[in-house]
Amino acid sequence: MAAFLSIRPAHAAIHHAALVIQHASGSVITRCVAFAEDQITGLQLVERSGVQYDAQNFGSIGSAMCQLDREPSSVPSGCFGSGPYWQYFHRRGAAWQASAFGASSSILHDGDMDGWHYAAGAGQVPGNAAFVSVCTAPPPPAASATQVAHAPNHATPVPTATPAPSTSLEALAPSDSPLPNAVLTSTGPPQQPPKAIALGPWLALGSMAILLLGLGAVNLRRRGP
Amino acid sequence: MIRHPLAWGVWATAVLAAAFIDRNPYLQGLLLLVVVNAFLPYRGRRRVGTWKLALALALVPVLFSVALSRFGQHVLFTLPAIPIIGGRWTLDAVAFGASTGLALLLTVAVFAVVQTTVRSADVVAILPRPLYRAGTTVALALAFAPKTLAAFQSIREARQLRGQRTGWRSVPALLLPLLLTTLERALQYGESLDARGFGSGRRSRYRPLRWTAPDLLVLIASLAALVAIAVLPGVPYNPYLELVPRVPNPDQLLAVGLLAVPAVTASLSRMDHAPHHA
Repeated sequence: MAAFLSIRPAHAAIHHAALVIQHASGSVITRCVAFAEDQITGLQLVERSGVQYDAQNFGSIGSAMCQLDREPSSVPSGCFGSGPYWQYFHRRGAAWQASAFGASSSILHDGDMDGWHYAAGAGQVPGNAAFVSVCTAPPPPAASATQVAHAPNHATPVPTATPAPSTSLEALAPSDSPLPNAVLTSTGPPQQPPKAIALGPWLALGSMAILLLGLGAVNLRRRGP
Repeated sequence: MIRHPLAWGVWATAVLAAAFIDRNPYLQGLLLLVVVNAFLPYRGRRRVGTWKLALALALVPVLFSVALSRFGQHVLFTLPAIPIIGGRWTLDAVAFGASTGLALLLTVAVFAVVQTTVRSADVVAILPRPLYRAGTTVALALAFAPKTLAAFQSIREARQLRGQRTGWRSVPALLLPLLLTTLERALQYGESLDARGFGSGRRSRYRPLRWTAPDLLVLIASLAALVAIAVLPGVPYNPYLELVPRVPNPDQLLAVGLLAVPAVTASLSRMDHAPHHA
């Protein structure tokens, strides 16, 4: 029933999230990741950015980042070691806010930005960065679902730490020799159909609620024992 | 009407599983309707206090969560740096507390339904023989607390009728008659058990508890719902990650619908007006 009642948008939106990684040396790398889904996790952002990483799952708390962009040079025992560690932040307005969850449990939507900082001691936020400085303006309205469907099914990571990628659809197309300064780092699974606005579940939920309310009215009229 | 304790036990387990496994507020709202519907055909005046307690319990997590949690992205307001309560008060924390409170409300509501519909004598009757004596003792002990409370109220009312004080200062004067009443009741229980030949051999029943069609229907529907909830769990609701809950999928709605079978059978069957006494 849901399939019959679902309404698909004419075109799929490309969403963007930014990633800022600050090493202990102070060097910063940024990435802009495009994705077709409504949301991705912080770990997916790192994964799709193409930056090397090693994460360890801590169950319901989420994943902790043990190694990012080859720092530290070897993964410490127990993931964190005893010195500096990768601290995880979300950009909220004009400030960084420590994440309450691990990267695999935090959710990013279009326009969100995550920051990682390799430092000792809590609350060592990365340097200031704005979303627009990492990701340029959103794609033009001409971006259609058909065009997105032709995008490659593999990530095209940028080998260097160069910010300001292009968001044009050409950048999403496969390229044998991607230009480091012009290629969008990665996209979501291109074959995934655009998200449907399904009315079926809402109708089913409403019908169930009405049926139960009706049943309650019937039972209310009956005298209790 | 459904009477078998096992049917109600499986139903209660399935409702609690549905309420706690993913804690989707939409599902919890539907479950609350289901539980209220299951309660309505058996309702009486005695359970009003239970529902008040349930509502109070549902509010406590909301207050604690919003006052103590500083996480979340949807800030309602920010208090100055006051110890414990200072900082950002977020809508996410309200939603988390409400979800927890709703689960508590459902728990109390389910037990209120079970307490209203199931006779302790029926529960004891279906116990395996080795557990019969222990079960009877536990049932008597559990029944003792509310009866003692009722006796306390009776003594208090009797004192009020005589124009005596009823405040906390009168508690010592209430304890002695309460103790005597309780001891007298214990003796009555003992004599009653003795008169019925408790512990002398296999117990016979004047009116054996049998499975009826509605009992079986509820049992099967509840087991099916339990399997559906366990095998096809939804995405757990976490307002800190996503404030607006997802609409439940048809499998979850079907499982909740199966749990409404007691209410449906009660609305279709003729009312048994014979009072049940445990």
